Amino acid sequence: MTQFAFEIPTLDAGDVSLRAIQESDLEPLAAFYATDRSQFVGGPLPRVDAWRIISSNLGHWALRGYGMWIIAADQQPVGMCGFIFREGWDEPELGWQVWDGSEGRGIAYQAASAAREQGVRAYGLDSVISYIDPRNARSIKLAERLGAAFECETVFFDKPCHIYRHPKQEKHA
Amino acid sequence: MQAPRPSLTNAPRLESRNLILRGPEHGDAEPLIAFLTDRERAAGFGAYDNRHDAWRWFGLNVGHWHIHGYGYFTIEDRDTGEVAGITGIWNPDGWPEPELGWALFDGFEGRGIAYEAAERARDWAYSELGFMTLTSNIVPGNDRSIALAERLGAWAERTYQNVYMGAEILYRHPGPASLDDDGDGSVEAYA
Repeated sequence: MTQFAFEIPTLDAGDVSLRAIQESDLEPLAAFYATDRSQFVGGPLPRVDAWRIISSNLGHWALRGYGMWIIAADQQPVGMCGFIFREGWDEPELGWQVWDGSEGRGIAYQAASAAREQGVRAYGLDSVISYIDPRNARSIKLAERLGAAFECETVFFDKPCHIYRHPKQEKHA
Repeated sequence: MQAPRPSLTNAPRLESRNLILRGPEHGDAEPLIAFLTDRERAAGFGAYDNRHDAWRWFGLNVGHWHIHGYGYFTIEDRDTGEVAGITGIWNPDGWPEPELGWALFDGFEGRGIAYEAAERARDWAYSELGFMTLTSNIVPGNDRSIALAERLGAWAERTYQNVYMGAEILYRHPGPASLDDDGDGSVEAYA
């Protein structure tokens, strides 16, 4: 195993923590992406493509200096949250996903809040957007709870998409 | 000694007669995307029809280095610094075994670059990573790659279904011991 050429910090997020993704997260990630539950975050995908999410995620951190974390509850991976700015994105996005069995506990809200703060503090990412499928009522609710506001409709990778804008945060000293 | 430069991975910098093999860097994204979105040129490698997916492959390779400690090197012409292609060891989920792969960008074929680069990467995998064997997966009909695999001493072992490419011929490379014996000194020269 090589050393990382970049740092992925671990963050406290209330009841959960945000940590770097690792290859051993493949099983729960692949299980999530195997089902329609992943339809709003690029799925469903076969296991081999779930592996590529892990690898691409690490590459994203190296290339951009930020990325998505694994959300860990009681040491167990239960979802992902953080920043996405791939080729084809208008600007950096705050995204989230909570896997089967861990929804309804406020995990995504805590994770997204912590990630958003870290974005302002460490990466110069403020008032970022979230791309949300208009059918994804759960995510829209969360975006609104986070204080994000509907900005516009767009087409994102050939699908109708709503852009939500997060409120500008106070700059930390 | 050369000044340090921004590095996306901890890939080593390898040299051969005419080439430098080094880890991917930010500036490699565009030539790589141009290659990966060229359906004809990248047909045997795995082409993409859009920049987004090609860029993701670039990031995927960077992440692959972090997960495995190996991946695709960028091949640089030693004299001109031009980026000529990629070669390295590839082993994502679903692969039958770690693979020695290569691809040249437009305008760099016919100069022996792929052979020299792939041989150097193979030597590194044997001498530094401790691999005892390597394979190369080649789509039937990719005569140029088959000729190179054979020039490298590899032989067709079996056909298998690649999850992305369909039927591929798995070529088996000679192991480090037999390369040691062949008298060209390719492995021990770098040990």
